[in-house]
Amino acid sequence: MSDQPDTPPEPETDSIAEYAAAITERLGAEGYTVEFDTARVFVAKDKWVATINEARKELPLFSWLSAIDWSRETEVGEGVAEPDELEERFEVMCRLSSVTDARAINFFATLSKDDPTIGSLTATIGGAEWHEREAHEMFGIMFEGNENLIPLYLPDDFIGNPLLKSFPLIAREVKPWPGDVDVEGLPSSDDDDGGDV
Amino acid sequence: MNAWLELGITLVVILVVVLVSALVTIYVELKAGSHMQARIGPYYAGGRWGWAQPLADGAKFLQKEDLAPAKADGPVYRLAPYVVMMSAIGMFAVIPAGPDLVGVDLDLGVYFVLAISALATLGVLMAGWSSANKYSLIGGLRAAAQLIAYEIPLILAVVAVVIQAETMSLNGIVEAQMATLFTLGGMDIALPFILTGQIVGFGIFLVAAVAELSRIPFDMPIAESELTMGYLTEYSGIRFTMFFLGEYASIVGFSAVAATLFLGGYGAPFLPESLANIAGPFVLLAKVAVLVFVIIWIRFTWPRLREDQLQSLAWRWLIPIALVNVGVVATFKVVF
Amino acid sequence: MTSRQLMHRSEAAVSIELETPGMTLNIGPQHPSTHGVLRLVAKISGERIDEIEPVIGYMHRGYEKLSEVRTYAQITALVNRIDWVSGFANEVPFILGVEKLMGVEVPERAQWIRLILTELARISSHLVFMSSFPLELGASTPLMHMLRDREHILELIEDVTGGRFHPNFNRVGGVKPVYGGGSKTKKQSMDLPAGFFKRTLKAMDLMEQSCRDIDTLVTGNEVVRARTIGIGVIPSDKALEYGLTGPNLRASGVAYDLRKVENYLPYDQIDFDVVSRTGGDSFDRYLVRVGEVRESIKIIRQAVDLIPAGPLQTKVPRVLKVPAGQVYSRAENPKGEFGYYIVSEGGKMPYRLKIRSTSFSNLSILPWILKGQLIPDLVAIMGSFDFVLGDVDR
Repeated sequence: MSDQPDTPPEPETDSIAEYAAAITERLGAEGYTVEFDTARVFVAKDKWVATINEARKELPLFSWLSAIDWSRETEVGEGVAEPDELEERFEVMCRLSSVTDARAINFFATLSKDDPTIGSLTATIGGAEWHEREAHEMFGIMFEGNENLIPLYLPDDFIGNPLLKSFPLIAREVKPWPGDVDVEGLPSSDDDDGGDV
Repeated sequence: MNAWLELGITLVVILVVVLVSALVTIYVELKAGSHMQARIGPYYAGGRWGWAQPLADGAKFLQKEDLAPAKADGPVYRLAPYVVMMSAIGMFAVIPAGPDLVGVDLDLGVYFVLAISALATLGVLMAGWSSANKYSLIGGLRAAAQLIAYEIPLILAVVAVVIQAETMSLNGIVEAQMATLFTLGGMDIALPFILTGQIVGFGIFLVAAVAELSRIPFDMPIAESELTMGYLTEYSGIRFTMFFLGEYASIVGFSAVAATLFLGGYGAPFLPESLANIAGPFVLLAKVAVLVFVIIWIRFTWPRLREDQLQSLAWRWLIPIALVNVGVVATFKVVF
Repeated sequence: MTSRQLMHRSEAAVSIELETPGMTLNIGPQHPSTHGVLRLVAKISGERIDEIEPVIGYMHRGYEKLSEVRTYAQITALVNRIDWVSGFANEVPFILGVEKLMGVEVPERAQWIRLILTELARISSHLVFMSSFPLELGASTPLMHMLRDREHILELIEDVTGGRFHPNFNRVGGVKPVYGGGSKTKKQSMDLPAGFFKRTLKAMDLMEQSCRDIDTLVTGNEVVRARTIGIGVIPSDKALEYGLTGPNLRASGVAYDLRKVENYLPYDQIDFDVVSRTGGDSFDRYLVRVGEVRESIKIIRQAVDLIPAGPLQTKVPRVLKVPAGQVYSRAENPKGEFGYYIVSEGGKMPYRLKIRSTSFSNLSILPWILKGQLIPDLVAIMGSFDFVLGDVDR
């Protein structure tokens, strides 16, 4: 039943880095980074659809698509480490992965906050539709070519894009998270061998 | 005896038999099903083994509000459960529990039983159409399609019995099965039809009866995982109870018909004729109990077929086999 | 349009021609076969589905937003509520990601405990599938038998973690200290509860029996075969396009199992097979899962032999501050690839946490696969997908 090799290729950081470099070269992408075994390849916004489609020939599994909102100011949670140096932007990310070994690449495209528009993958990747709809309602990103950008999770009359850093978490505004205020006292420090927090 | 009094007694007896047998069947299904599913089932109601669970369920249903959807076709919606219930009760009127223990000894008893049992589907169709619910509608239409597909093999299986018995009276059919076939060592041996050439017909009758009863594996008109509850979706309270009781009474009714047609009815070997009227009901009951248990057993073993698969089973297998069966039985009858 | 209106309309139009307009059927959000609150808006003609539009989000809890205001330790409690049927398996990839970012080495024993509990979670999740899938087809008996057998697994998980569904057992740097080894105070004696492995092996024997049970009850059943073989065939290219993973992908002939390709837990020391089939239909999806339970039993038996002695935790700071960085960490969940894209900006809480939940991707193929199917087949196909609405909506 199984046609899986008994000893799969070891997902070493080096080989992932080499692969990321090679695919960046092949696809004419703008650059790449590798952290641990997570490879990010940066793609120009206007070459997004073409690059992903090209990359799917070697990485056939469309894993997911989402976005990051890079903002200097945040309504909730902790902000970025160095707000002053941050360029405010959206990053759209799409992960493709191989189905024979551990190779997988996260493709990134940068969108400006003024014009969060990018091409839609739905023409060739049917599975992208739900992911794009999610990214649309959560971040307000427009996917050109996806005709069906109706809300996926949220009610039809919902106003706002909840995953934006500027979107307040209403529940948290009304009632502070108890964990912030009434945490149990930590065990005495003389017993400090770490761990059980 | 006054004819009216006689009619009244008959009616009361039949009603009691219908209700009690339905309740007992419900209880057996609850309890036997539970044990097949590694559960205990009813336990508390009534104090011991939960014997009063069907009564408690009934009392609960009676307290519920009798709801009808605003857009329902009122009169039809309200009438449907009565049709189903009437069909179930009507079957019992002609089934003989002894040579003289029969509500109405019709010459065309077989004909009457088949006709009145098919009426239940009319009630189901009425319920499905009038509920103003799409699930109910699909369920009702499925029931109608099922009826058409299964009435034919059912009737063909019975036709073979009628040919062999040379009568359409249910009493006559039982007597035909009690007639001496041959003598073995000084004893008169009589065999039920299932052992004298009707085994195929019995199988067809049982399958078709389960389909007509909308029981698993043929419960597509209800199909709770597809149509929530099919034609029952909108019913509540007393009307739901009537459907429910009607279903279980029909199980007993069909089992009794099958027992009468194929298993010798109230007759048993070595039973002196003088005792037939006293022991007859118990003999019939024992045969019915076995068949009812089989029907319950099937329910807890098998999944549900698809509507088109049911149709193909009926039209491509059961009807041809039933036709051949009729032909074979008729040939034997003519030749021997 | 209700049936009544339909009737009146066709009565009015009868002099011109009889109309047979299609019908829109709302399946769900409350419907027995939607496993919670999925809604399907189906345009049907007769019982044939012309077009179907799944509506999700009835259970959207906004975990990605909530995670931005939770510390890493708190998020573990959140994530095992995503796919509540296999809570433990959801924690693992998240904790692995945080450990990667922090550069924490996890003691070997803790890794093996994670592996054993993940496999127990897999068996428990598959048993839920093996109980609900026949129920969709109308067989109610496997439900009871499989849920009864799952109880043995849940008891084991509860023994170790204290929770049946939401263990919340993983900690950065290991697993939660358990005082089951004897003393409640001496940390040297922290270990799994006494006799755990013995009971695990005993439960594995029971699981083998339940695999045999399901084979006799369901696998060989003619009606099940008639209802599922050739129904809902997903070719491998469509499966990859829609991001199907796990048993759903493996049933389509792609033997892709993260346990083999990525050694996130010591799976490389264990001898097991990736179960895959080539048909891609509902029956194959069922068979793959039954096969995986057998493989998991094998894995657990080996793991119980191989598990080394040692500490359960490594020393980590009391307040977790995760260095800035981005990592995607994934694991083979019972339902498929489960992953977290963690963006840390060096604080106590993640800047962004993208949760790649399995059932979301698995369900995204529904509009494609259900087009042109019959309503009874819809139920068989959806049942074979083994989705959990919490996992779809997050």
